[in-house]
Amino acid sequence: MSIKPITLMYMSGVEDGTTIDLNPKTDGSIRDADWILSIGRKDDNDICLRNDTFVSRYHARLLWRDGKWWLEDIHSTNGSFTEDEMDTFHEIRFEGTIPVECGQLFRLGRTWLRIQPDNY
Amino acid sequence: MVINQIQLKDIIISARQESHRMRHYYLGVEHLFIALLEIRGGLTSNILSDQGLSSEYVIDAIRRKIGKGSSKHRLWPNLQETPRSDMVMSIAQDIASSHGRKNIQERDLLIAILEEDDNIPIRVLRALDIDMDKLQQQSRTKQAILPQTHSFIQLDFPSDFEGELDPDQLSILRRMFHGYSKVRIEAQLTGGYSGSILLVVTPFELDKRKAALVVKIGPADMILDEAKRYERYVKGTLPPLTARLEDRPTAPDTSELAGLKYTFLGNNSGNPTNMRGIVHQWSGVKIGHWLNEHLYSDFGENWWRQNRSFRFEAWLEYDWLLPPILTLELEQNENLLENANIIKFPLRRKRINKLDYGDVVVIDNFVVQKVDKEKKRIRLALGQGSEAARPYQIEIRGIDFEQDTYYRGEIVENIGGTVFKTRDEQLMMAARALEPDFDISSDRISILNKSMPNPIKWYHNILDMPVDGTLSTIHGDLHLGNILIGPSDSALLIDFALTRDGHTIFDWANLEMSIISETIVPQVPDSWDGARLLINHLVALNNPGRTLSGAPELREALQAIVALRGIASQCLAHKNRWTEYHISLSMCALRAMQWHTMTLASRRVMFLLSALSMFEIQNKPSREINENTPSPDPESTEFDQ
Repeated sequence: MSIKPITLMYMSGVEDGTTIDLNPKTDGSIRDADWILSIGRKDDNDICLRNDTFVSRYHARLLWRDGKWWLEDIHSTNGSFTEDEMDTFHEIRFEGTIPVECGQLFRLGRTWLRIQPDNY
Repeated sequence: MVINQIQLKDIIISARQESHRMRHYYLGVEHLFIALLEIRGGLTSNILSDQGLSSEYVIDAIRRKIGKGSSKHRLWPNLQETPRSDMVMSIAQDIASSHGRKNIQERDLLIAILEEDDNIPIRVLRALDIDMDKLQQQSRTKQAILPQTHSFIQLDFPSDFEGELDPDQLSILRRMFHGYSKVRIEAQLTGGYSGSILLVVTPFELDKRKAALVVKIGPADMILDEAKRYERYVKGTLPPLTARLEDRPTAPDTSELAGLKYTFLGNNSGNPTNMRGIVHQWSGVKIGHWLNEHLYSDFGENWWRQNRSFRFEAWLEYDWLLPPILTLELEQNENLLENANIIKFPLRRKRINKLDYGDVVVIDNFVVQKVDKEKKRIRLALGQGSEAARPYQIEIRGIDFEQDTYYRGEIVENIGGTVFKTRDEQLMMAARALEPDFDISSDRISILNKSMPNPIKWYHNILDMPVDGTLSTIHGDLHLGNILIGPSDSALLIDFALTRDGHTIFDWANLEMSIISETIVPQVPDSWDGARLLINHLVALNNPGRTLSGAPELREALQAIVALRGIASQCLAHKNRWTEYHISLSMCALRAMQWHTMTLASRRVMFLLSALSMFEIQNKPSREINENTPSPDPESTEFDQ
């Protein structure tokens, strides 16, 4: 399955509304058929959240695997969260790897992000 | 003069202040929107008020969604606009230009935020169930109104009306019935949460009498929470004939109060009364019959009979019934806080219990539950979201709200204080107020020659107990004041402020408290001897097969409890294993022991009832583990008289 470029959008914070374009040819790493993008506060991450002090230096990874996007929390201090569908004010902290849909919001530290839906 | 001419300059100043309060140091759409909400009588607060939400409430919801910035770092020197604010501002500028104006006005900015559609405030409004189409439309058409312009509505009070409404409550009442010619207040219902009032009223439209309804007026955040809980837990689960919240709450941004209307479908025959008012005219058998035939049978299926398996440690569902685990005086001296005890999840209660007056503690990642600006206090607890049973409450006094902002739902990274009062001290004070005729500080107390645990000492053991129970939608505050009797004796429940998914048994243990206090306690003398005598008769309830003792009137009144226990037995996770119920009952009674709205006689009975339930817990496990031995346990409660 071919890996398509994606766009990430900041949904909160000082960079709210900023988009980041990511291309498998130039960003992240490819291992077997997986595309791996690292996220954290340090500059050497593929996606660098330098303005959020609640984000760990190496916080999480986005993985393209089996035709789907997955989000993996790599033992971050302040956690990674998704929204509870029943109660938007209840955010669920997860450990390990969970699937994420395009358009679905997730939070790393205090920063909300989403993978833009295809038609954007 | 047109009042809708707030300058953009002023909106930006107020947005910057909000950003600063939240330690964000950037100017986001959320700050702009909060600035719009802060314009008193402005367009934004007005159209949200039309949908039953006060500005305060929406502001807190937005703050909760974003969270406060870190106190430690400030990463950039200037307050810069986010790319999304830039976008919103340029949309607003376009709108202003299309009207031939140079300057952006409140309405332009509001329309722009709604149009951008992807920002935090919009996401929060959706989560609050706002009708976005209506909002869009009103943002274009609605004219701002001066808050005083609503028409006069006549309020009639009956000559025997005993309650008293303050001007703020009267003003909410008038607003709730905007468009009616007259509202007749029939009665004030007793009981319920002390910060709010319940009234039975009849509205008139041009002298035409409409159906009576129950109005609740109370603190805006409580009322709006209740409306939200109703939407989430109650709305789809009600029997056909019962109380409903048909309208959005009335929450003007000029008041700290808000109001709700419970309407009764198909009820035109007389006024609803609550059980607390009627229960003295009913026999115990009748009360018991009604609980079974109406309350339990009408609501049971969608509520208490859900019976999902639920195993938990008792503290999770019951700690919140107790006084705050600590009351602290705010401490900001960094040097003092350096060696402080740190309190964080998972909580080590044994360590907290050792803390004493003046000890310094730092609390990590607790959530703000209550903000009391008048008394300069906040209350924190573990857990976020909509659960009502938030364990481990900690109260912090001496907050300077001029300097620091706190909002409900905020996760406070850390906050320090010195111990002012412990939970044990508070319980001890409450017990002393009962004027005990025995040693309140000993570990055990004696009730008619039987040694029982002292509940204010033994409750620690309960909190650690694993409970094998069931989970259902529960009312969360089921007592006689919240149960109304409708046409043909139907059950009408009101007051859903604490409705949630919780331990099924809790509702019934709580209702038992209420019935004992209202109908059973008056049957015995007010003294401690009277209370002990009553406990002696209540023992029979815990031992099926034992016949009830006492005077005929008392035995008759106890039939209500017998029936209630019959319902509770159907809600137990395991047949005949009553420890689950006694855990709940002991904690409910321990809480009620502190209620000043209860008579001294009732509070004494509550104290002893808590002891009795703990005694049952201590003595029953062996029988409950081995269910196949139906013979009476030698350790079970037998009283020597």
